[in-house]
Amino acid sequence: MQFNSIYQLLSVLLIIGGLSFGCERDLEDLEPAEFPTNGDVFIDGFTGGMEYAAFGGSKVTAFDVDTEIKYEGTTSMRFAVPDFEDPEGAYAGGTFFLTSGRNLSGYTALTFWARATRSATIDEIGFGNDLGENRYVTSVAGGIQVNTNWQKYYIPIPDPSKLTSERGMLFYAEGPEDGEGYTFWIDQVQFEDLGTIAGPEGFIFNGEDRVVTSEGGSSFNADGYTVFNLPTGIDQRINTAPAYFNYVSSNPEVATVSESGIVSVIGGGEAVITATIGDEAAKGSLTITSTGQATTPQQAAPTPTYEADDVISIYSNAYEDEPVDFYNGFWEFSTTLNDFTEVQGNDVIRYFDLNFVGIQFTSPTIDVSEMTHFRIDIWTPSETAPPADFKVLLVDLGSDNAFGGNDDSSHELTFTSPTLVSEQWVTLEIPLSDFTGLTGQENLAQIVLSGSPSIVFVDNMLFYAGENDPGPGDDAPTVAAPTPSVPAANVISLFSDAYTDVGVDTWRTEWSMADFTDVEVAGNPTKRYSNLEFVGVETTGANLIDATDMTHIRLDVWTPDATTFRIKIVDFGADGEFDGGDDTEHEIIFEAPSQNQWITYDIPLSDFTGLTNQDNLAQFIFSAVPVGATTVWIDNVFLRN
Amino acid sequence: MLNKIKTSIYCYSFLMTAAFLLTTLTGCEADESQNLEERNFRLVWSDEFDGEAGTLPNPENWTYDIGTGNNGWGNAELQYYTDNPSNVSLDGNGNLLITARRESFGGQPFTSARIKTEGLFEQTYGRFEARLKAPVGPGVWPAFWLLGNNCAEEPWPQCGEIDVMELRGQAPNKIAGSLHGPGYNAGRAITTEFSLENEGRFDTDFRVFAIEWSEDKVDYFVDDFLYQRIEREDVPGEWVYDHPFFMILNVAIGGNYVGFPTSETPLPQSMVIDYVRVFAAE
Repeated sequence: MQFNSIYQLLSVLLIIGGLSFGCERDLEDLEPAEFPTNGDVFIDGFTGGMEYAAFGGSKVTAFDVDTEIKYEGTTSMRFAVPDFEDPEGAYAGGTFFLTSGRNLSGYTALTFWARATRSATIDEIGFGNDLGENRYVTSVAGGIQVNTNWQKYYIPIPDPSKLTSERGMLFYAEGPEDGEGYTFWIDQVQFEDLGTIAGPEGFIFNGEDRVVTSEGGSSFNADGYTVFNLPTGIDQRINTAPAYFNYVSSNPEVATVSESGIVSVIGGGEAVITATIGDEAAKGSLTITSTGQATTPQQAAPTPTYEADDVISIYSNAYEDEPVDFYNGFWEFSTTLNDFTEVQGNDVIRYFDLNFVGIQFTSPTIDVSEMTHFRIDIWTPSETAPPADFKVLLVDLGSDNAFGGNDDSSHELTFTSPTLVSEQWVTLEIPLSDFTGLTGQENLAQIVLSGSPSIVFVDNMLFYAGENDPGPGDDAPTVAAPTPSVPAANVISLFSDAYTDVGVDTWRTEWSMADFTDVEVAGNPTKRYSNLEFVGVETTGANLIDATDMTHIRLDVWTPDATTFRIKIVDFGADGEFDGGDDTEHEIIFEAPSQNQWITYDIPLSDFTGLTNQDNLAQFIFSAVPVGATTVWIDNVFLRN
Repeated sequence: MLNKIKTSIYCYSFLMTAAFLLTTLTGCEADESQNLEERNFRLVWSDEFDGEAGTLPNPENWTYDIGTGNNGWGNAELQYYTDNPSNVSLDGNGNLLITARRESFGGQPFTSARIKTEGLFEQTYGRFEARLKAPVGPGVWPAFWLLGNNCAEEPWPQCGEIDVMELRGQAPNKIAGSLHGPGYNAGRAITTEFSLENEGRFDTDFRVFAIEWSEDKVDYFVDDFLYQRIEREDVPGEWVYDHPFFMILNVAIGGNYVGFPTSETPLPQSMVIDYVRVFAAE
């Protein structure tokens, strides 16, 4: 990319112009050198000193200059958004920035014209991204809607007086629409001084007047947004960097607030945090009543020692955390507040007024199927004797990777004394297999913590793959099924090393939907079904089983992935033949079977309520969910009394 | 009270443009003023909208149009006009609020209000002015206007209509003043737009909208800047402005003039009226 370098020339011209046009000039009026005030970003090419950097993971060739399609003049900026799964990059995104700053304080908005090959929403577009501090980063909340017609767009500057040396001129990020790439164009990009924009209204704490009880050491985030009314008469919400707001604490002895909007509670008493944007008061405030000294852990939580490769971290100083939407969703009916504090230099989250709190990570969701355990360290000053409890709920969005759709799964585990202890770090290392209702693990999206302690410090929230616990990825049993101990006299065995088996026509009927192999597990013969939808085992004709004297069917099952397992028994009735109007059958369904371990099913035949006869048992049908995608090992199949 | 209106008050947007050009091209001084003929006006009627917040305006001055009229008041407007204080009330700070809301009522998706002095105060000629801030947004149509008091006998447009100001909410920096009469009405009305261009909007600051109406002309003002003069001989039909007119203030939503509101139209929103004053020539 070749950028013009007419910038110096322009500034020279401006200086000359100033000299020749001025009427009178006083030396005292001279001010220190200021940054240039040129508002042009891209008219027919870039102003000098402009650099472009593509964002990480984006398709680096997405941006180019177009001379064919343009709004005005000779050229426009063209952005080619890649298709879903383009090997060169998942999205188009980057920033145009200057090597030296501009004084934009005389402008009110960044404006440009845009069109696209289709109707689309450009997810992120704004200015103030200088690949550095991004101190005054500004963007359109919700992105902009483009279509095939040229339209003018406005991104108001929340407080122009702050932009005296801005380098970030334009940035964008846009992914495929419905999986499809497309092209959009931007032209006539410039900062303008417009009197036709009204506002802003500023909002902090989401425009609410919040009240919290807090303690020394707590901190809160006071970031906000602004709303402008555009020249088209519509309101536009603008993502507004905290540095645009002027924050004030009514009592700096109790709480301070930094330029970046971090509120720190430092003493006892009351303080109110407010802000202005420009000269106008922002809506929203935080009233803090601090009790002063906090009851806090004196020691940091034990540092986890898992290999970084074996960890997916949600919150820990020991590892790099995954992107998290929020550590407190402030969901309806949740009273929970939180702050971020430090214990011995270790970051911890302090939840208080806890009833329940949602921690969410949807961009992207997290695949924990290679992990074996969830770990969380908790510390509470609250009472933990019974009936106190602490609960951990994991939520997976299922294969659609979206909330709802009937494929979400979740499971909650409850912890009580003696596991729970007051004023001590408690490390919970919970096997994921204990979350038996969590049938999906590839699109984990939420952790919900709840319980009776009103204050809980949390650290080292992470998933890890334990060394000795074969994860779902190790998808075969390494130990044989347990050898049954029922006396042989009480057994009709179809398949077991421990007994003499009766005749079985087939362990996989023609009509089955499954692959079948006889395998050995630790030297023990075992039936293995893969790609299992359903499989029929038949004992017909001479092999019909009279189970009149039997009370139970028993079998051992091992699966790494089945979320539902079903057993159906069919009796051919008095005629001993398929059909004939006298067949009876019943199916028992097991939801969320334990995975990666041998499960011994010992099921009373009386549970098979639809199986009104049991003297001509002819079919045993096993099936599983996810349909056609499960693998199941089966051993020790027998009837007993 | 005798109130003399000063003439020759300089303009706003034109001045700014001129000043800019002058500074850029030549020098540091700029001044521009309009020289209008001297005239004296005497205040004869006013409502300053003082009163308790949440109350209706003075019933001795104002009455109401209720409902949807005929085909959305002839314009396919979408609102239902009420006399409910949520649509029309004093704000307690000396202003009247006419508030358009997105709420279903009377079969319409919006409510608003339209107040008028019909039967209470009607006058031929003079200066009619209102100081107000307009609501904005796609499909929002605020107006301050006059209608002849004989529309029952001489159906519109024969009874005459003088629009002091109306605004299309999708262009918050532009208003229009118009004259509707027989042979020149609706889309063929005599009208002039006045734009603040890049210098401001009509929702952010109070501005005074006025007409000065006499036997042979109507002058249109924004903040005492004359932006349109329509004289008797300019009218391509009959001059129907020699009888008493009454005043109307309203905020319409949607309709033929302004187009449809969108989901992004900011509602509720109010026209904020500081005062309405009427003067007679001395």
